[in-house]
Amino acid sequence: MRSCLLCLLMLVFPAAAHAVIVQQLMRPGIAANAEYLIGDRDKPAVLLLHGFLQTREFPTVITLAHGLQTEGYTVLSPTLSLNIPNRTQSLACEAAHKHGMEEDIAEIRDWVDWLKSHGHRSIVLIGHSFGSMQLLAYLSDHPDPAVKAYVGTSLIEAQIGSTFRPTLIARLESLIRNKQNALVTYPLSFCQKYPSTPEGLLSYVLWDQPRVLSALKVVPVRMLLIMGDTDSMLGQGWLKALQHIQMPMVIVHGANHFMDGEHEFDLLDHTLAFLRQTPERASK
Amino acid sequence: MKWPHAISIKQVALAFIAGLLVLVSLIGGFAAYQTRGVTYSLERHNHDAARSELTTAVQRLLNQTQEQAANLANWDETRQQMVQPEYYTYWRDQRVYESGILPSHFVRVALYTPSGSLLATRSGEIRLPARLPADLPLHQAASWLTGEADSAVLYHAFPIYADKHRLSLLGYGLIRLDFMPALLQQEALYFTDKTSVRLTLKPGEKLSASKLLSALEFKARPDLDRLHFQTILSRTLLALFILLMIAALLALFAYHRLLARPLQRLSQDIDAMQHGRFSLQSGRSQTMRIIELENVRRSLYDYQLQLRELHGSLENQNREFHSQARQDALTGSHNRRAYEEDWEKFRLDLKNSPQGVAFLLFDCDRFKTINDTYGHAKGDRVLSLIADALVMALRANDRLYRLGGDEFATFLSRTTPAQAKQIAQRCQSLLEASVFSDLGINEPVGISIGIAFCAADQLEHIDDLPKQADIAMYTAKQPGRNRIALYGEDTERASQTLVASRETSALFQALASPGMIEMHYQSIHALPGCKVDYYEALARIRYHGSLVMPDAFLPVVSSRRLEAGFDLAVLHQIDADLSSQQLPSGIGVSINLSAQSISHPEVVSQLLELSRHSARHPLILEITETSLITQMAEVRTYLDLLRTVNYRIAMDDFGTGYSPLRYLVDLPVDVVKFDISLINKLGQDNRASHVVADFARMMSEAGYSLVAEGVETDVILRKVKSLGIAHVQGYLLSRPVPLAEVAASRAIPHAGVKCVT
Repeated sequence: MRSCLLCLLMLVFPAAAHAVIVQQLMRPGIAANAEYLIGDRDKPAVLLLHGFLQTREFPTVITLAHGLQTEGYTVLSPTLSLNIPNRTQSLACEAAHKHGMEEDIAEIRDWVDWLKSHGHRSIVLIGHSFGSMQLLAYLSDHPDPAVKAYVGTSLIEAQIGSTFRPTLIARLESLIRNKQNALVTYPLSFCQKYPSTPEGLLSYVLWDQPRVLSALKVVPVRMLLIMGDTDSMLGQGWLKALQHIQMPMVIVHGANHFMDGEHEFDLLDHTLAFLRQTPERASK
Repeated sequence: MKWPHAISIKQVALAFIAGLLVLVSLIGGFAAYQTRGVTYSLERHNHDAARSELTTAVQRLLNQTQEQAANLANWDETRQQMVQPEYYTYWRDQRVYESGILPSHFVRVALYTPSGSLLATRSGEIRLPARLPADLPLHQAASWLTGEADSAVLYHAFPIYADKHRLSLLGYGLIRLDFMPALLQQEALYFTDKTSVRLTLKPGEKLSASKLLSALEFKARPDLDRLHFQTILSRTLLALFILLMIAALLALFAYHRLLARPLQRLSQDIDAMQHGRFSLQSGRSQTMRIIELENVRRSLYDYQLQLRELHGSLENQNREFHSQARQDALTGSHNRRAYEEDWEKFRLDLKNSPQGVAFLLFDCDRFKTINDTYGHAKGDRVLSLIADALVMALRANDRLYRLGGDEFATFLSRTTPAQAKQIAQRCQSLLEASVFSDLGINEPVGISIGIAFCAADQLEHIDDLPKQADIAMYTAKQPGRNRIALYGEDTERASQTLVASRETSALFQALASPGMIEMHYQSIHALPGCKVDYYEALARIRYHGSLVMPDAFLPVVSSRRLEAGFDLAVLHQIDADLSSQQLPSGIGVSINLSAQSISHPEVVSQLLELSRHSARHPLILEITETSLITQMAEVRTYLDLLRTVNYRIAMDDFGTGYSPLRYLVDLPVDVVKFDISLINKLGQDNRASHVVADFARMMSEAGYSLVAEGVETDVILRKVKSLGIAHVQGYLLSRPVPLAEVAASRAIPHAGVKCVT
């Protein structure tokens, strides 16, 4: 396993250590880190993934992580490297984006493996926003059997604004075919200008609503969607579409995309309620 | 120390104002000096503040750069470029500025590999070094400045690690910025003059950041508050000075108007008062605004008014006194003093305006007789009437002068001989018309008029006019004349007048020229031995080689009232004769003196002077008994005085005058000289002889020493001896001889003396 564990406190004071920063070399020169919140061994471990260009320090994520830990769940909240060594900051929309869905899925897989390497045989993937979509992408691509459940909060597709997606995809594919690696700038998600390599952009652009819905239909594990009915980030009719395919879904009334404020507790409650129904297995 | 001359009040005011200005200037200068000190202190403070401020600005810039470097080092995208520099230029030229980590394109950044090589070389990076300096401690941040072509550039190199624990070095970053624009664009530079900030570095020269401050040149920005303060102070001082100047000028003006000019006017008024030019009109009209000065002016004006009134009064009195002094009290005409003054002035005026001049001399005919006959009061009245008539006869501007006694004169200007004669005739006519009978005078009273004329072209002879008029007047008095004579016309036709003229001329010349009077001495013999006891000094005038005898010139002396002058000349000559000591010691000298001379101070003074000879020569004063002695008390006083200096007083010509007994009683007479008319009576055998003899005997017994004059016969000599008369004098014994002959005869005892026994 291409990982190394720095778990100093846990090694020295295993009983007292509840949180450590974990770092893994994902690719040459690209290390990534995660916060490992240690919970009860008899409960499933949670891999909690942040949203688009965010880090594990995103409020919604960190609140939920600590809430779950408080309830005894081990939580690993990584920060996707996005091809940046030891990324610690949310990446600006205008940055040169060289990352793509494949690297993201690979890092998710690495972190699942890392959990497994640390004795967690029941893993629940919880994502927020774009992270929910990335976890969904992972689940669509030969997920590890230790992954037992999936919770997608504020699930969203790869929005590209008013750009006509087929045309964009075609253009990107053309650039890729022509090996033109110059950065292309198009809207993506909440970024109005998103400079990216054609490959990276194309990997995200392909995840439109139909593809997400398709992925949801084939998720091999138990799943739950927690959505806010005042989420302005969502595409038009997205909630209805989700309801239409009859996915397990909780709609938090009055909650926005970030489930902040009083809705943090709704999010936690619905998540805990789901986790309690997840089968448990001792790690050792 | 000697004070300078008196200074004027203007000078005092100017000095005061100048002193005040100097004082204010000194105060202003002191204030300016103090202000300069404060200004210098403020400048120092300002400079220090600028230094501090610049230090802070430099440090801020360095800190800012370090902060930018730290942000860059910790920035995920920076680390991304170190690992995947494919889009390095996008990051370098766009992202670092979009992200706000670097403020502007003036600040550039470049990334270097761990070996110090530039991460990627593109055309836009020519201003960044291709390699980092090897001598820098690159394990930590380092700053330095380098001189480039046109500016000083600040570089800040910093390491970039893969993790926050600085365990894995990814490379280096280098921030480049133009130092001066970056430094000066800071808005916090208040005290520093941005245009003065200089950092001089040669191209390629390197300067560490630690030495930056010492290499930085700068100037403090002028403190606007201080400049404003200085401007205000300068303006205030200038305004103060101008105000003081204006105030000084106003004060000077007010001082001049209120004090200096009034005081000057007062001074001028006082000067004018001193020179008699003070105008009461000006003093009355111009009031002064200062109360004290106004009081002084009023006092001065009042004083001047009073002084002027007093002066006017004194002038009136003076004029009156002057008039009185020049007026003859008896006749109301001008007196001799006025004559002399007017004549002198007239002579001077003639030099400027030559004109014909006539001099008229008036003399009353037989006035002595009238005076002796009718008394002095009527004589004076006659003179007054004559004067009135003459004044009426003269022209309006002609003046009548009374020269003395009955003699009047006038001088006529702008006239001719004919006009002068016409005026003279008018005088006589008016006098003839005058009524003298009211005075009890039945005889006609007439005047003789002598006229002398001097033509305008002969004014050099103007001084001869009085003398010529005198001659003409004597000509007029000659019997058979019409009592008006014009000199040069009438006098040449009268031979007798020539004689008179000769005697008069001799007299006047003798009076003017000492030595012309020659004394002859006639011996007076003591009886019974006929020894010469003393000599009577008798005057002669030697004129052109011949002697003019007394009977020829004494009337002139009498008529011209020249007695005092003549007697003075005689006394001088006697003094000279006695001083020659030709007369033997012990021989006395008898001196004839007119009664009028006795009261003359100069004569008395000369007699006192002559008395020094009395020890050697007993002196006797002979006073003619016929002389009119009008001031008996005054004459007696002088005679008493002279007796104290050993003069003996002799009554001359006794028996020929008036009131002889009164003279004997009132005057201190020692010797009585019987006139020849009485002595000759002794030669007759009649009652008159007895009277004279008895009188002589009585006089002798009364203690008078008697002298018999005119003894010319033996008979009379014997008679005189018989009467007990002590001295005799006469041709019988000796004739008057010159002094030289007296001396010679004294060498022969009793030479020529014929004395009966």
